[in-house]
Order: sequence, then structure tokens, then C-alpha cells
Amino acid sequence: MPACFLLIGILLQAATAQNYAPPKTPWGDPDLQGMWPGNFGVPLQRPENLGTRTTLTDAEFAQKQAQAKRQAQADNEEFAAPDAKPGINPPSYWTERGTPTRQTSLIIDPPDGRLPALTAEEQKLRKEARGGKGFPGEWRGEAASYEDLNIYYRCITRGILGSVIPVVYNNGNEILQMPGYVVFRNEMIHEARVIPIDAASSKHPHLSSAIRQYMGDSRGHWEGNTLVVETTNFTDLDAIGSNGAGYPGDPGHHSADMKLIERFTRVGPNTLNYQATIDDPKTWTKPWTILIPLTRNEGYQLLEYACHEGNIAMGDILTGARAEEQKKENDSSK
Amino acid sequence: MRVLVLTIVAFWLAAAQASAQASSQSAAYRAPRSFDGHADLSGIYQAVNTANWDLEDHSPRAGTMWETGAIGSEPGGQSVVEEGAIPYKPEAVAKKKANFDHRRTADPEAKCYMPGIPRANYMPYPFQILQTPRGIMFVYEFASANRLVNMGKPEEAGSDTWMGTNNGHWEGDTLVIDVTGLNGLAWFDRAGNYASSHLHVVERFTRVDPYHLTYEAAMEDPTVFTRPWKISMPLYRKVEKNAQLLEFKCVEFAEELLYGQYKKQPSK
Repeated sequence: MPACFLLIGILLQAATAQNYAPPKTPWGDPDLQGMWPGNFGVPLQRPENLGTRTTLTDAEFAQKQAQAKRQAQADNEEFAAPDAKPGINPPSYWTERGTPTRQTSLIIDPPDGRLPALTAEEQKLRKEARGGKGFPGEWRGEAASYEDLNIYYRCITRGILGSVIPVVYNNGNEILQMPGYVVFRNEMIHEARVIPIDAASSKHPHLSSAIRQYMGDSRGHWEGNTLVVETTNFTDLDAIGSNGAGYPGDPGHHSADMKLIERFTRVGPNTLNYQATIDDPKTWTKPWTILIPLTRNEGYQLLEYACHEGNIAMGDILTGARAEEQKKENDSSK
Repeated sequence: MRVLVLTIVAFWLAAAQASAQASSQSAAYRAPRSFDGHADLSGIYQAVNTANWDLEDHSPRAGTMWETGAIGSEPGGQSVVEEGAIPYKPEAVAKKKANFDHRRTADPEAKCYMPGIPRANYMPYPFQILQTPRGIMFVYEFASANRLVNMGKPEEAGSDTWMGTNNGHWEGDTLVIDVTGLNGLAWFDRAGNYASSHLHVVERFTRVDPYHLTYEAAMEDPTVFTRPWKISMPLYRKVEKNAQLLEFKCVEFAEELLYGQYKKQPSK
């Protein structure tokens, strides 16, 4: 039964995508331009008990909505509870909770919505990284150097996928087009990826493999009304997951040989499907694909996110760690 | 009556001559058109001058670190300020001098901070202009800085930012950008020339031939300068067949400078 629903769902989606004819730019390309902020709230991986089910049932969805309502009430509370523990995170009302949707996971392939198995090579690499400490993920209080923090804390970049996967705030995405180019802007850490568009893909060959970039080297072409962007020339220094810094329990590390295929399709006047296939045989035993439906919101204002310029936290984290060491030393010599 | 006619003719002639002078460049060269009929300025450009070292006239001088030898030294250069020197108020001169003295660590460029306007346009890194129906996008290689110039109804600046609030319009084939809402933390150059958050910049980009833009920026900040002043320079189009912006995410090159002292094993 669920498989049957899945099939109908896929067919419906395909039919909608094919039936909807997006407007054209003045020079005749499909027009994807607009403000397309991300919607936080769909997990990257599907809870295992949901199996191959891509959408929530009515009951599950109602539960998710009720939860969102309770959260919104909590966010709007004027005063913190007297027993609330202060943390390092911003106040609750800063957080964009997103509008609940029925999507059960961002991963749509493999069909179980889970990451494929890691290769043996990658398992070894992750275990041995940084002398056995592993790749920097969520900060756990240890900070001998700024290099102990992930690239998001360091405000370097969030990478291509980390910039699109919705997070707790500043999820702005904007698409702009001119003849021969598409610009994909992401709000947090101010990315503006300039993608050359070339039907023949010979006018703009990829950069030499000697040149490596966090955001890779992107080339686009049109397949019908879908913009297909192929990106190579990555580093192995960013990571896949929210904020380009992995996801709970996983550093999201990938290899520099990763090939990323993004597909941008307008499936309605206000919906753009962002689909990305991660093809990295060095890291995962098979390719996997995520789907992020984006809803147009021209009222959204994309602001300048001066992450590094305002990175007071980095100095505080390092000096805090030094102060803690000093205190331990003082306490032990008493 | 005859006097009046002659006067009118004289005025007309003078006006015609003035307009001929003003449009002498555009008469000789008409820029290709963008999809919307405006001059097409899109492309990758870079300044070829010493403005990023020092907007004003300056002799060659040693850099801030002897370890880098001649590589880190600073070439001499002629002023891009139209009247030669920046008209600082007397009390602002001391701040400029202090900036210069501490430039090795105080220059926002050293810290990989967004360069602000106008500096972003004459750093030794290319930038790309993309004319789109949603506005004119400037993407800079340095620090992944960028700004979208609003070509519609002018928007008032919200919070102060590094790259400012950018409202553009066309004056003939010249793109004019009014920049406000700057945070006053950016410098004009490595010599410590600066302004405050009251800075108001009016930029003018004109394509004067297939390979060059003329760039002008008029600066106004009554808290720092005695009067408005202006810079101008050509910007050179990248004509290489494979020209494209590369990535220069310089944060990781600045971390040791910014945080090295706080490490468990501090750098010397």
C-alpha cells in the first residue's frame, strides 16, 4: 500500500513538473528568478520506522502541526522560566521554525531516505582524522585552536549544500539570471555563486583539477525547463549537512572528488524544487539525492550576514577554554 | 529682436558644444545593449593601479614586515583623488595616521573583512558585474563579498552594513549607484584612509570602449572631510577566453593573525 502511494506521488509530481510551464526571461530562458527562502523542519534522514514512506500520514502531520503550535507559543513567551538554564544559543524567538510539511526526509534516494553506507576507505579516514579526534563537528567545548572548530563556526563557508539545507535562521536564497549566467545567492555567509550556462558545455570547460574550491566549480545547462548544474573541483574541507558542518552524529565529510548535480525546477508559480545528487564513490557506496522544495516569498529580505566580521564567539571560545585550563591548574595546585 | 536672436543662437551653440564635449566618448563608442536596452556593462573587471595601497600620491616604501622583503613592499603611485589629496578635517588626520601606523593588523583587508564601497572595486582581485531583471549584481572575488544594486524604487538603508544599501539608476549609458548605510568600519586602502558611518558614496560606471569602464566615486562625510571629494580610474575588462571569478575565501588566511594569541600553544 505505501509503495502504491509512493508511485502515485512520484507520478503526480512528475506530471505537475511537466505540466507547469514557467514564465520566460526576456531572452527566452525558463525564468527561475525570485526569492526562495528555505523552510526549516524536515530531517535530512528519515526515521527508520517510516521505511520507504515519503510523506507523513494525516495523524502524523496533525501531530507535527500541534508540536509547531506549542513551539510557537513557547517562542513568544516574554519571560524565560525561572529554572531555565542559560546556554550559548541565541534566544528561542530568533529561530525560524518553518512551516510544517509532510515530507519525511530531505533524502529521497535511496528509497529508505537514509544515507548509503560509507566506503571502507572513508570509515578509516573518519576514524583517523586529526590523530583520532575525528573531523570537527558540533563544538563540544574543546578548543586548543580555531582549527578544532568546524568551518561554520569559523565563518569560512557552509559549502553548496550546507548553504541550501534549511537551518534555524537566515535561510534566504535568491536566484538571478542574465543571458549566459545564473547567480545563486545564499544569505548566511553571503555566498553568490556565478554559474555559467552553456548549452554545448564546451565554451566553459571546468577548471583544471589543480584548482580546488570550497564551493567547487559550477557549470549549468537547461534540460527542458530544468536548470541542471554540475559542480566539481571541490576541496575535502567542507561537509554535507546543515551549515556545511555535518549533521547530528555525523561529520558529513566528503572527498574532493565529489561530483554534485543540482536540478532547479519550477513546478508551480510559487514552488521551486531544488534537487541535488551527491556522487562521491570514495565516500559513499552509492550516489544519493536530496529534495528541498522552496516556496517563493518576495517579501523576504536577504540581509548581509557578516559572519566572520562579527565572529566574537571565536575569540570568546578560545579565551574561555584558556581560562578554564588556568582554573583547573590553579585548583590542582591548591 | 536681432540681439535676442543672436543671444539665443549663442546660447544654443554653447549648449551644443558643451553637450558635444560631454558625449565625445559616447559619440565615438556606443556600448552594446543589455536585454533591457541599457548599456551592457556586464563582465569581469579589475583595476590596474596602486589605489588599494594608497588613494593619494605616494612614493615607494617598505612594507610592514621585513620578512617578506621586496614582495611585501609597496609600489609608488599617483593619486586617484581628483584634487590630489583627501580633504580631512584637522582632527581626522590623527586617526588616519594612527590607522597607517597600525595597518599590518588593523587594516580590515588583513582580517579578511568585506572591503566595503568603494574599496571593493579597486582591490587587486577581479569582480563581476551581472545585469539581471532583479537588479545589477556585483560579485567580488575577495572574501566572497557581493552586493545587489536595486534598480527599482529607491530603498532606504536599514541597518548599517559593510557593502551598504545600493540604489542605482541610469543616466544615459552611465550606471549611477547611490550607496548609503555603510558601517564606517571599512578602509579606503592599505594606507589607512577612512570615513565614518556617515559616508555617502555616489558611484558612476561608464563603458568607454569594449575593454574599459570608467569608474568614479564621489565621497561625502561631513564628520571626517571638509568637503566632498572624488576618485576616478579606469577598470580593465578581463579578456581571457577562460576568465572567471575564482574563490578567495580568506578567513582561514587571517585566523592566525586574529586568534593565534588565544591558542593553547600560542603562535609567537
